[in-house]
Amino acid sequence: MARMQISDYFAHQSRWGGWEYAFWLLWIVLFFVPDSNLVLLTQILIWGLFAMSLDVLLGYRGIPSLGHAAFFGIGAYSAGFLGKYGWTEPISGLLISALITGCAGLGMGRVVRGLHGVALLMVTLGLNMILFDFVQRSTDITGGDDGLQDIVIAPVLGMFRFDMYGKTAYVYVLVVVFIVTLLVRALVNSPFGLTLRGSRESTRRMIMLGAPVDRDVTLAFGVSAAIAGIAGALLAQTTQFVAPEMVAFTRSADVLVMLVIGGTAVLYGGYVGAAVFLVLRDVFAAMNPVYWYFWIGLLLVVIVALFRQGILPKLAEKWTRFREGR
Amino acid sequence: MTSLLTILFNGLAYGLLLFVMAVGLSVTMGMMQFVNLAHISLSMLGGYVMVWAMDAAGVPFLVSLLLAFGACAAFSVLLERLVLRHFYGADDLTQVLLTLGLLFMSIASVAFIWGPAFKPVTVPSWLTGQFSLAGLQLERYRLFLLVAGGLLTLVLVFTLERTRFGAMVRACVDSRRAASGSGINTDGVFALTFALGSGLAGLGGAMSVNLLSLDPNFPLRYLVYVLIVVSVGGMGSITGSLLAACLIGVADVLGKYYLPELGGLFIYLLTVIVMLWRPQGLMGRAA
Amino acid sequence: MPALGAGCVCFPTTFLSQHKETTVQLPIQRRTTIRLVVAAAGLAISAMAMAQETIKVGLLLTYSGSSGVGGQLADHAIQLFQKKYGTTVAGKKIEFVKRDTTGPNPEVVKRLAQELIVREKVHVMIGPDFTPNVLAVAPLVTEGKVPTIQTGAATSGIVGERSPYFLRTFFSIPQLIRPLAEWAVKNDLKKTYVVVADYGPGHDSEAQFNKAYTALGGTIAGNSRVPVRNPEFSSYMQRIKDANPDAVLAFFPLGELVPQFLKAYANAGLKDTKIKLIGTADMTDEGLLDASGDTSLGVITSGPYSDAHDSPENKALVADFNAVASKIGRFNASAVAVWDALRLIYDGVAAQGNAKFDPDKFMAFTRGHSFDSPRGPVTIDKTTGDITQNIYIRRVERQDGVLKNVEMVTFPNVPAK
Repeated sequence: MARMQISDYFAHQSRWGGWEYAFWLLWIVLFFVPDSNLVLLTQILIWGLFAMSLDVLLGYRGIPSLGHAAFFGIGAYSAGFLGKYGWTEPISGLLISALITGCAGLGMGRVVRGLHGVALLMVTLGLNMILFDFVQRSTDITGGDDGLQDIVIAPVLGMFRFDMYGKTAYVYVLVVVFIVTLLVRALVNSPFGLTLRGSRESTRRMIMLGAPVDRDVTLAFGVSAAIAGIAGALLAQTTQFVAPEMVAFTRSADVLVMLVIGGTAVLYGGYVGAAVFLVLRDVFAAMNPVYWYFWIGLLLVVIVALFRQGILPKLAEKWTRFREGR
Repeated sequence: MTSLLTILFNGLAYGLLLFVMAVGLSVTMGMMQFVNLAHISLSMLGGYVMVWAMDAAGVPFLVSLLLAFGACAAFSVLLERLVLRHFYGADDLTQVLLTLGLLFMSIASVAFIWGPAFKPVTVPSWLTGQFSLAGLQLERYRLFLLVAGGLLTLVLVFTLERTRFGAMVRACVDSRRAASGSGINTDGVFALTFALGSGLAGLGGAMSVNLLSLDPNFPLRYLVYVLIVVSVGGMGSITGSLLAACLIGVADVLGKYYLPELGGLFIYLLTVIVMLWRPQGLMGRAA
Repeated sequence: MPALGAGCVCFPTTFLSQHKETTVQLPIQRRTTIRLVVAAAGLAISAMAMAQETIKVGLLLTYSGSSGVGGQLADHAIQLFQKKYGTTVAGKKIEFVKRDTTGPNPEVVKRLAQELIVREKVHVMIGPDFTPNVLAVAPLVTEGKVPTIQTGAATSGIVGERSPYFLRTFFSIPQLIRPLAEWAVKNDLKKTYVVVADYGPGHDSEAQFNKAYTALGGTIAGNSRVPVRNPEFSSYMQRIKDANPDAVLAFFPLGELVPQFLKAYANAGLKDTKIKLIGTADMTDEGLLDASGDTSLGVITSGPYSDAHDSPENKALVADFNAVASKIGRFNASAVAVWDALRLIYDGVAAQGNAKFDPDKFMAFTRGHSFDSPRGPVTIDKTTGDITQNIYIRRVERQDGVLKNVEMVTFPNVPAK
């Protein structure tokens, strides 16, 4: 009886909601809408994936990181170096970059796993700044500020070239994002995901239950880093360009803002946050190029004050209340 | 040898500057558990107030420094009453995002009021150039920073250790609940400490702009240094901030002289090492 | 433009209704059909007119953030140019579409360029500034066949080498460094200490100067690379003092490092020594001169443009510009680059007359084209599209209470490479 209840529980957790179908369908439909800004949409997907990677750490395990751009950058530069020095096949390049970044994540997790609070934030920030500084000054290796030049990415599956209109990039990114999201979805709804969430709520109790909390933190870092690396590699491959600002602290701050806006621990919060942030940033910048910082700041203050859990959970809450009110 | 002494002198002056800018944040974070990234915006405001006072109103340098202190303290009271007070109980991330939003708003507002270009900063002639001391050529302005920073430190430590108000502040940092339980008006202490800390941020900013240059993007450039001083020193500890600031100032300057290939990395390396070794900071209380 | 189309529709129908009383009343269906046909014709005519009458110029510059002054200066330069030369050329209206790059941000800039080229369908682009942005948009500009005039990136080899549709009206680092090295040697500055910002263009300048200066017989007294995020200069000043050179060559990006360096240099007492401080135009750019104040007096730089350049055209331009834009900043090398970009666009469009805009003909016209700029005579190189211009060695002096780059020596027609 108990065994059936357990598997029932996990099955229930992983059930596909109607909204999830609608979400993915929307992305497919957007491809066919004439005159849609495919390049912007592709960037939203990439940032959303990046934010979801941070969610695994922050939302599901409760570890805030101010240096996640380091992993994004490692993935981007790995893919860039592969493309520059002859390994032009995109899909294998993607996998290799994910592997490299995942190892870096495991290393980082091993180093910071004993830390909490401010110390954790400062160490992640410090490591990010160190990597950024190194990348920017090493003009011989990385091209420095001018970025990595002459990256060549072969057409996907030998057929689809990365063109100016962004069609191939969009489909390629969408497919990869879909697959990775499915994997993450499976992960967070698995026993391991449950362990992570348990550690987030109370580490002490998890230790008492015999869960290998330290090892789990390292693994969480590894997974999160690998996904961030995939996002970075996607950007490098679709734009055939890698620059130090992909490792910059501003990117770490931006992705954190996006995730919090969209909502942590709801899997799709990253995508919602990325969409809201990028679209609004464009809107504000178009409205008033000089002072748009003000509106972004105000938006942040308003979101924090009114939608603290994030947009997605707030909407979900309103929806359930609406349904119950019927 | 003279080079080394000059370098040490320069590093200490730089460190004291960082200390004045960061000490308010350390106390606020330690006492009120409130992460206020907009603290650095107050430093910027202090710089602009000083420059405006000297250029537009012809106020002498030292008086305009006091004006910067007062204006930032007053402004922070407004800010606290209107916005920040509601978020005292919120979690760290919320406070970070809120104050980050305020920081962005401050950048755009200052650009709107005073223009986006760099503001020229002139100090009186008795503070420019160098003077000789024991065979060393030392910058006058850095000596001023050393003296002023040193005096401020003495005043702060005296206030904290010898006055009743200082005792109340220390009590609140140790345990707000106990302090409140023993009859201390914690709200009042908070408000006053916040105002003083912000005033110091403004004063530090005003003192720094001659060295660090002033434009609306000041907060984005120097936020990291202030955060490093606070976290390495240990939140809530004034002596910790002083120690951390001096350490960082001297290490930075020494590093750039003797190991220029490492350049600016030194500060970050130091931060990571200290945080890994002592996560609570040099003088912070162990969790 | 829609107004024009609407006007074409309204006019014929009102004309018809006004004449209702004096002419024979047509049956209703007939009237409606006639109105529809006229309306369609009106729309068609106006649509054709629209296609012929506008040249869309994409502006991909920095309007916000620490380098936001550049974009804002450009806006004023454009307004002034159009006030002087009009908003139409050869019957075609020149329209601008602005996008903010927010600084060196290749990911965003690539997307914005894509938007401008694919969605806004711009004919020509001005910008982007910063080398990483330029490199990111190169393949787009080639594929989209959009002549793009670089107005804010100084790395060498990023013009025709990267795309056949690139032009440059700014300057290149070797273009400034070589004359400077020559001048230094000629003026008995035998030992130079080189201090640069620790990033791409800094390394570039360092390498170029080392090569040019030592080839002419000078010696490098020492080298320092200053971190780009740097509040503290005292160590570097100490090293300069230890080396005791004849001159110090400084290269810093246009931004907060310049006034900071100059101030630290003065505070360290180096200004009172016989050491000459030399550098490229960024060190004494008009946008930073006032912020640097007296610490910039006596600094010798090589640059393509000074707002004190003694020509009647320049004097009038600077006076007009300061009248409207003094709160933003002074007319500087970036602003004159935008000014000359407009000159190229207007000349190139005028050369095509009434025909539809042809990007290849535009490139053929502009490459090899010479004209008089407020900075002096300028030629666009025939093969690379880069700029050949006079480079001046200037010294900062105070004239009429204002700090100016006073031109001392001219190196005529210096090529960009």
